[in-house]
Amino acid sequence: MNAKKKSAKSVVAVSGPTNVLIVGVGGQGVIMVSKILARLSQMQGLQVKQSEVHGMAKRGGSVFSHIRFGEEVWSPTIPMGEADVVLGLEWAEGLRWLRYLKPGSGTFISDTKRIVPPFSCRDRHHDALHGYAHHTVAEIVKQVPSAYAPNATGMAIELGNERVANTILLGVLSTVMDFPAEDWLQVLPEFVPPKTLETNLKAFEAGRHWTTQPPVPEVQEQAVPQPQAPMRRQVSLEITGEWCKSCDICVKMCPERCLALDDHQIVELVKPNACTGCRVCEWLCPDFVIAVHVDVVPLEAVSADTTTEVRI
Amino acid sequence: MVESAMPLKIRQKSVDGARDEFEIRDYLRLDLFPHFLCPGCGHGIALRALLWAIHDLDIEKDQLAIVSGIGCSGRLSAYVDANTFHTTHGRPLAFAAGLKLARPDLHVIVITGDGDCLAIGGNHLIHAARRNLDITCIMMNNEVYGMTGGQVSPTTSLDRFTTTTPMGNQEPGFDACALAKGAGATFVGREVTLQTTALKNLMQEGLVHKGFSFVEVISDCTEIYGRKNDLGSSPEMVLSQKRSVLPRFDGTAVDKPFRAGNWETGILSRQERPEYYSAYRAHCHKVLGK
Repeated sequence: MNAKKKSAKSVVAVSGPTNVLIVGVGGQGVIMVSKILARLSQMQGLQVKQSEVHGMAKRGGSVFSHIRFGEEVWSPTIPMGEADVVLGLEWAEGLRWLRYLKPGSGTFISDTKRIVPPFSCRDRHHDALHGYAHHTVAEIVKQVPSAYAPNATGMAIELGNERVANTILLGVLSTVMDFPAEDWLQVLPEFVPPKTLETNLKAFEAGRHWTTQPPVPEVQEQAVPQPQAPMRRQVSLEITGEWCKSCDICVKMCPERCLALDDHQIVELVKPNACTGCRVCEWLCPDFVIAVHVDVVPLEAVSADTTTEVRI
Repeated sequence: MVESAMPLKIRQKSVDGARDEFEIRDYLRLDLFPHFLCPGCGHGIALRALLWAIHDLDIEKDQLAIVSGIGCSGRLSAYVDANTFHTTHGRPLAFAAGLKLARPDLHVIVITGDGDCLAIGGNHLIHAARRNLDITCIMMNNEVYGMTGGQVSPTTSLDRFTTTTPMGNQEPGFDACALAKGAGATFVGREVTLQTTALKNLMQEGLVHKGFSFVEVISDCTEIYGRKNDLGSSPEMVLSQKRSVLPRFDGTAVDKPFRAGNWETGILSRQERPEYYSAYRAHCHKVLGK
């Protein structure tokens, strides 16, 4: 999981502002990390501009924060391809913003933690494939000029608090910036909760220490674990037509709209492929007409229609 | 002395799905089907939730006694393949109390309706609650006397039309849960039929509880009450029940209510108080020395 590739020179630009883009998922601490960096730059007597999107924390959404500092800064946002550092607190978010990285000299730092958003799973079937980033860490590290991809969340769990992963990444970030380590340690207590200060200081040191370690040997890993044999739900709806009183509850309540009343006002399955076996019709049928039987079978064994109707 | 029923335990959901699936047909007297309830009646959904809860608590059919009174809800006990007891109007709690005292090894469940429980059997409810005998009382509240032709019941909401209130009901209805709690029931809960899994979990909690547990199920009477009051077809009524309640500690959405007002759902009260049978046995032991 851990991978790194160092460039010889430090990233702080000689002229013009230095651009750092911090990205992650809501709730990970993107804003906290950017505040620390902004305060640090102010302490050095530099001009700082920061702009962010926030409020996504509740929704587990994408959060980013642009920080630019230097002798003189005009625009608050970083143009595409101009970021000296992209710091990703989550793997796919880091990849999403990779095109902002300066080609040739940018540094990419990202946690290898994967937070798979629900919307990337389009299929509600069992063990469905999902559209999460399929690149391996090694592939990405090869593509960028300088990269650090620690398993920060794993390290944070070892330290006893998963939420200090952002401070570990901050520690990694501190090794590529020109600011003295003492200043970082001075700013850190202002922004972390007092109760977690000790763990955060440990995490910061762990991040700095990680960069000095030799890279661990590459482990051949699959980007996104997929089940060996994809499984599918095989649903069978057992409908006792004699008991049906055509109350319409199942037809109206089915989230996939796959039931209907036939010519005799008896419920029937009209869209066999849409049925996911959620059992809402079974639960809400006052006449016990519908019984749902769900089996999980290998994908090859699924018949053409994933759901079959058995009439009694 | 007959031993009390074994304490029940809620099964933890197993991750690998190894748990045996609930088949409602195993618990029904299939020769009586289709049942007599009208199309879209919520009582059927509530009965499924009850049987599901019984299945998940591993209650043997021989250890289960279902007592019911008169009315649409009263007929439900006949469809369950267990020890069932179809009693007189309003008295299921009184019969159940006698049954439980004579056979404390049985799990006694009372299925009753709003008229059965609160009007004709109102006294039996408050005294059963006061005694705190280990009985689970499931009250199906559809706000009307359905079986006898749609007369006004003690829970009918204000301004609703029934056959005996053709210009709109002017009597305020009972809050059955508040009544049971005030009378001393140690477990009180309410749920709508749309939320079948929540209803099942609530019934499970009620069955596990040692003492008198009272569960109010907000059910719908489509054919008589819904039609007279223009509450829509059965799916619409089931959905409007959901809108008219206020889940405990969560959510506030209320519009076009099935019952006027915000009716809290979930476990409304749970207390610990000596159970009547064990207290009575202890007293007998003290007085008679055996």
